[in-house]
Amino acid sequence: MFGALDISTSALVAQRTRMEVVSANMANRFTTMDAQGNYAPFRRRIAMFQTGDPSTGSAEGVHVREIIQDPSDFRKVYEPGHKFADSQGYVNYPNIDPAMEMVNGLEATRAYEANITAIEATKSMIQSSLRILA
Amino acid sequence: MIKGMLDSGALPALERMVQFTAARHRVLTNNIANISNPFYKANDLDPASFQAALSEAIDRRRESVNPMNGPLDLASTSQIDFRPDGITARAGHVTDTILRHDENNLDLERTMQRLAENTTAHNTTIELIRSEFSLLQSAIRERT
Repeated sequence: MFGALDISTSALVAQRTRMEVVSANMANRFTTMDAQGNYAPFRRRIAMFQTGDPSTGSAEGVHVREIIQDPSDFRKVYEPGHKFADSQGYVNYPNIDPAMEMVNGLEATRAYEANITAIEATKSMIQSSLRILA
Repeated sequence: MIKGMLDSGALPALERMVQFTAARHRVLTNNIANISNPFYKANDLDPASFQAALSEAIDRRRESVNPMNGPLDLASTSQIDFRPDGITARAGHVTDTILRHDENNLDLERTMQRLAENTTAHNTTIELIRSEFSLLQSAIRERT
């Protein structure tokens, strides 16, 4: 029964990591420079889920295996006077669509709430099992 | 377990029921944990086959020399192996839900319904176990 708590908690951790990835994407929608000031548009990050929970060594539950960068093309905007414009006058902006990020954020929130409900069910089962003794 | 005292009446059946609901709870919780995992296929333990095995064992005990007491001998189903000290469950894939575009076939509403039913069955069984033990206690104390 306590194993069921581990499973739901691993899902909460994974969904919160996904929410952080969504927030980072939303914050960096127009970022064209990296930390050193070089021209390096921010690539959209994606969290990859995988079954299993390495922190407890169990095959049940879920975890974020890695956070990969979206390899799709950058968004090209025609700004000929921009410092980083290429020979045709286009500047590369991050490949982040706010609508997609909002929907991902909503789905992460819904999944988080579903797992909270599962934790409440587990807690009620544990508490009623303990009442056999008392 | 003290044979004879703790094998009596409904206690063996209730014990198997609690083992089954606990195992099914883990399977359903694992499904909910993997709700946004693409390519994940949902699992479940079939309660109908468990109930069939349990009622068949109860009928067999009723036909025997001691119809109201004694251990229950359940036949293993395709998903559950019954050991003297617990059960080993192998969850089967759910096949009657729609495959979504990310190839995850979890139906959240039905899974929540099954979780609610399973939790209620578990808590009810625990209450019945408590009342069985309180019967034993009042018999030991020789007063109600």
